[in-house]
Amino acid sequence: MKYKLIILIFLMCSILHSCQEFVEVDVPDHRMESSMVFNDDETAKSAIQGIYNELSRASFSRGIANSVNVLAGLSSDNLTTSIETYLELQQFQEHELLPDNTNNNSLWASAYNIIYMCNAAIEGLESTSNVSTEVKSELLGQAKFLRAFCYFYLTNLYGEIPLILQTDYRANALAYQVDSVQVYEQMILDLNEARDLLPSTYPEGERTKATIDVANALLARVYLYLEDWSQAAYYSSQVINNQSDYHILTNLEEVFLANSQEALLQISPRGLGATSTNTPEGNFFIITSTPNYLRPVALTENLIEHFETDDLRLTEWVGVYNDNETLFYYPYKYKISYATGANYEEYSMVLRLAEQYLIHSESLINQNQLQEGIISLNKIRERAGIPQLDTQISYTQSQLLDTIAVERRRELFTEWGHRWLDLKRTQKAGDVLSEISPNWQSTDQLYPIPEEELLSNPNLIPNPGY
Amino acid sequence: MPIPGVNITFKNKSGGTTTNYDGEYELNAQAQDSLVFAYLGYQTQTIAVANHTQINITLQEEENSLGDLVINAGYYTTTERERTGSIEKVSAEEIELQPVVNPLQALQGRMPGVEVVQQSGVTGLAASIQIRGQNSLRNSPGNNGNQPLFIVDGVPINSSPVRTSGLLTNVPGLDPLNALNLANIESIEVLKDADATAIYGSRGANGVVLITTKKAKNQSGKLQIEARMYSGFSEVSHQMELLNTQQYIAMRQQALANDGVEATQYNAPDLVLWDQNRYTDWQEELFGQTASITNANIAVASGNETTSFNLGTGYHKESTVFPGDFGYQKLTANVNINHHAKDQRLQLNFSANYGVDQNELFNNSLVSLATSLPPNAPPIYTESGELNWENWVWEGNPIAQLEKKHTVNSTNLFTNFNFSYELFKNLNFKTNLGYSHLNNNEVLKNPKLAYNPENWNNIYSSSTHTDIQRKSWIVEPQITYTFKKDKLQLEALAGLTFQQSQDDLLVVIGNNYSNEQTIGNLTAAEEVRVNTDETIDYRYSAVFGRVGVNWDQKYYVNFTGRRDGSSRFGAENRFANFGAIGAAWIFSEEEYAKNVEWLSFGKLRASYGSTGSDQIPDYGFMDTYEPTPGPGGLYPTQLTNPEYSWEVNKKLEAALELGLIDNRIQFDLSWYRNRSSNQLVGYPLPSTTGFTSVQANFPATVQNTGWELGLTTRNFTSEKLKWSTSINLTIPRNELVAFENIEQSPYQNIYRVGEPLNIALRYRYLGINPETGFYQVEDINNDGSYNYDDRVVIQNLGRRYYGGLTNTLTWGNVNLQFLLEYVNQKNYNFFTNYTAPGNYGNKPVEVLNAWQQEGDNTIIQQFSQSSAANSAYANAIRSNLSVSDASFLRLKTISLAYNLPIKDLAVGIQNAKLFMHGQNLFTLTDFKGLDPQTGMSLPPLKTITLGVQLNF
Repeated sequence: MKYKLIILIFLMCSILHSCQEFVEVDVPDHRMESSMVFNDDETAKSAIQGIYNELSRASFSRGIANSVNVLAGLSSDNLTTSIETYLELQQFQEHELLPDNTNNNSLWASAYNIIYMCNAAIEGLESTSNVSTEVKSELLGQAKFLRAFCYFYLTNLYGEIPLILQTDYRANALAYQVDSVQVYEQMILDLNEARDLLPSTYPEGERTKATIDVANALLARVYLYLEDWSQAAYYSSQVINNQSDYHILTNLEEVFLANSQEALLQISPRGLGATSTNTPEGNFFIITSTPNYLRPVALTENLIEHFETDDLRLTEWVGVYNDNETLFYYPYKYKISYATGANYEEYSMVLRLAEQYLIHSESLINQNQLQEGIISLNKIRERAGIPQLDTQISYTQSQLLDTIAVERRRELFTEWGHRWLDLKRTQKAGDVLSEISPNWQSTDQLYPIPEEELLSNPNLIPNPGY
Repeated sequence: MPIPGVNITFKNKSGGTTTNYDGEYELNAQAQDSLVFAYLGYQTQTIAVANHTQINITLQEEENSLGDLVINAGYYTTTERERTGSIEKVSAEEIELQPVVNPLQALQGRMPGVEVVQQSGVTGLAASIQIRGQNSLRNSPGNNGNQPLFIVDGVPINSSPVRTSGLLTNVPGLDPLNALNLANIESIEVLKDADATAIYGSRGANGVVLITTKKAKNQSGKLQIEARMYSGFSEVSHQMELLNTQQYIAMRQQALANDGVEATQYNAPDLVLWDQNRYTDWQEELFGQTASITNANIAVASGNETTSFNLGTGYHKESTVFPGDFGYQKLTANVNINHHAKDQRLQLNFSANYGVDQNELFNNSLVSLATSLPPNAPPIYTESGELNWENWVWEGNPIAQLEKKHTVNSTNLFTNFNFSYELFKNLNFKTNLGYSHLNNNEVLKNPKLAYNPENWNNIYSSSTHTDIQRKSWIVEPQITYTFKKDKLQLEALAGLTFQQSQDDLLVVIGNNYSNEQTIGNLTAAEEVRVNTDETIDYRYSAVFGRVGVNWDQKYYVNFTGRRDGSSRFGAENRFANFGAIGAAWIFSEEEYAKNVEWLSFGKLRASYGSTGSDQIPDYGFMDTYEPTPGPGGLYPTQLTNPEYSWEVNKKLEAALELGLIDNRIQFDLSWYRNRSSNQLVGYPLPSTTGFTSVQANFPATVQNTGWELGLTTRNFTSEKLKWSTSINLTIPRNELVAFENIEQSPYQNIYRVGEPLNIALRYRYLGINPETGFYQVEDINNDGSYNYDDRVVIQNLGRRYYGGLTNTLTWGNVNLQFLLEYVNQKNYNFFTNYTAPGNYGNKPVEVLNAWQQEGDNTIIQQFSQSSAANSAYANAIRSNLSVSDASFLRLKTISLAYNLPIKDLAVGIQNAKLFMHGQNLFTLTDFKGLDPQTGMSLPPLKTITLGVQLNF
């Protein structure tokens, strides 16, 4: 009988030994170990492609209800809610924002998620030696460009923000806010590095990734906001002078098409992973029935009134829906509300040449080079079919700056909240918005740091007034 | 009177039989054997076989019914008398007649220390269960660290709710145990303290629920058949009292007048576009139907001296309280085969439980529409009987929502094979092998028909298909040893566990169906997209053991321990040790106590030990990327922390058990203290980290203490009338006792040290501002804004105490049983679910008492839909105004049964019983809302059924 016991004990012991190995699991098929991602060119490229893909899903960049485009549009005098029960959007319009506004929270959170992906890619690329130098430098350039791009909106919307440049959550969770000067310094640093690293042409002809000129364009805007007119003029002229790649298109209907000659950077709707819409903006803005939760915003009459009647932008880029004799004006830059199949005719515009002309014009006029400034401005007016400014007539600088402000509003409406940021950077927000918004206070220029952020990071200080 | 179902076992070896309906039995025994006759409520008798060929005995009704009630402790069994741990048991009789789908629901109110909450009246939804309070900070439906370990016939089950996308079922999901047949459950045991749970090691922290199905024990050679059927009706137990059309219109007009705004079709379609006299009771229309319920079961058992079997099948069908043709049905089948060799050394048991169920619903929770649609909303149908879309400006026609068909089909298999062989005298080798497989298939349709035809060119029809597989196998070889000498008895157990589970999730979306009829058939979709495709592997292994010693059946000591490893942890922290000691002293056996007349039983017991919890998402320690939904991209899955380790839960318990006056009064009082530290949390992070949480251990300690009281009295025990009452009461106290640097943590505004976990931090409600007529809350720091610094009112949302009262009355052939459940708690009231009074949308009648002028004493602010009114209201619903008493007393179940006198019955029928059963028949509460428990979800259903049971 004894041998049975011995066998049993032996059996048990050997099984015991195998316990250790038994509980090890492999990385599942649907995932990939991070250390492997930056181990070769192809997967490293996928990591950057992933960031661009996510731009079409991330709230702040998606162009619809939680995006910079719509929320900043509502905060300015360009957009209005067309139904009265979408309280979270109305808070933006009425400048009665509460820190727990979920649209505000998702705008903030989604931008920082993209920043994390940029930081992770930068760390991964900088620490690997298995990615070819050429690919590595291009990808690093992309990541730095995208990081600067996100910070541009964050600091302009929220003022003092945490400047996150690495992925260690322990430190990031307790990050303090820095003032916008520091954020701008970092953006300039990133964009200059990106200019050195990025290629000069678009890969595969798709204008959906950053190139040197895309970095130049953002840098021009950054210097415009810093009122460093000569730098702004310099970088915008870099882009304008690249006439082999970029043109102001005479046909307004072609401007927002995929890879249009006017586009510097676009977001491809492919990143959504669904093929049932073209651009989210087209789907969101175009009104074909009584406004509802899915299409809750319209252009303000105030904006419409600022167009001259024969302005082609009014006829081509603004649509109107007549609902029982009430007119709803809607942005019609994107013509496709809904499309079937993977046939993408339109991409979402992020940066385009027209803005560079306007930056160029504004920075020259600010340097008192009025005539040269007018030439750039006329480029836009000409295409819009409205009278060009006569270079022989002597306009004052402030007249011209006012004209540029109106021109920017008419040209760039519903493209990434230009109007709201312009009103703020030119110190006109109070004058303009207190007229239409009885609750206006000067502290409304900044959105509140989201309540959830304040809850989870004790070092954050709420923005004044919230 | 013959007693069927008496258990007859050998005292000196395993094996046995049960009596048939004539009280007869047959058994192969040898002269040296002794037979043990046991039946619940009767004294157990032991008779030596000697040279008898027929042993007839008369069982005496037990005075001391603590007796030998056998308790399943998982890896071993014990008795009510001898147990050293805290174990609650509910047996078949108490649950099998209840017209519910899910076994957990049948436990509501029955056990001290066990909180079972039904989350809504939708059939098939998972009930939440918490044993002795919340131990873990992780308490969200998707990541719940407070779920007990569920074991069905020895096989651990992934009991987390099955994910579903349908709006009626997505919170908290479907219950994976739905496919079990309630009629085939023998008992449900709940293990609570360290002594009972430490043998489950890293998975025992939140208690263990053992579900045991019925085992074959018929050795009579005759076929026994039990057939049972019941059917009945249900409706929702409560509806809100809302404004009628006249009151509603008056409220809206007043609001616009107060705002000085003219009504237009954009700010008030209800006043401008709609009939001002039309009235629809939307609650009645949208969830006021009467549902029918039918259940049928048949069980067959037979066997001979070595082999017995049970076969059973059941069918259950329910319709819903919603309009339209929806409902739930399930079909189950079960088999159990028991075999032992003639010499009793080899024993085999195989059981399989298979269930198929189908839940047909639609993708909308109509409840919130039903309680907020204006009463004068347009008609549902046009005169010609088609869906009316005219003037349905904002919501759309609610009945169209029924077109979004949502069907969940699932199959569930639990199998278990048990093998036991006596190697040497007193030394057994056992193996438990189990396999379970759940397959859940969900189709969600989104047809154009659900939308206004005007918008059809902007809408594409689509369907979402979710396929979930949960497969798990387990092997547990064990050795048991028993030793007896003089007054010393020892039982020892050592075993190993290997378990592997694989969870698959596949979500496929079909878009753009050209034809509405083909929606759901992916081949007809223009585009098919895989949304999620993942496979999760979980592996677990352990060594465990137990030594139980008793001296003279008076002093008991029980040691249990486990060393286990789980694949959910990184290599450094994969293994950990857990253990406990339990002791009991039956002082009524002492000489000096034996003289005390009124004391028939007395026991003191205590236990201390540690358990853990590995209920965290898999692969959390791995630093990984995964594909983006868009093509060609990868993105980081999560923030990673490879260093996290087990949550440790230390449990202490002391208890006193008494039986007085011939055990006619049984009293059971326990005190417990569970402390969970090293909290493993999806630690919430600010979004600046890129994500919103990371898995980490946290220096926080959660303590659950409480008193649990059980009292059973047998008020009448005469032949004619028997009446017994049992009461259970739990007074829990949950407290966050320590939390290092909470001010510096993301939890600073969620928890408070010294307070329970389940709290709401609220503004202080100051009443109505006499100038504006709007709500005011206190700006504590006078900084002009309202934020968490101003949230100084702490409201405990947990239960303060709860219990149940069961009465069982038997008078001749009639048996009456009812259970009252009482819960003392607070909850969010209706304020949180409504917009400010005066806004579009119906409101509870309470708003009629709105503020009108200075001096009005009311808690309803002035009618207004201005943004000032809405932000005042938004602050008020974050104040203590929105939390109020939600205590309730509910007649949870009541059943009345009548045993037909046997002589009136047809030949072949041995026993016939008629029964009536009621569920949730009344609820007493002051709560303002749909239901004090489910808040504003579909309230629990009120059900009455009538049935018959026949035994052949």
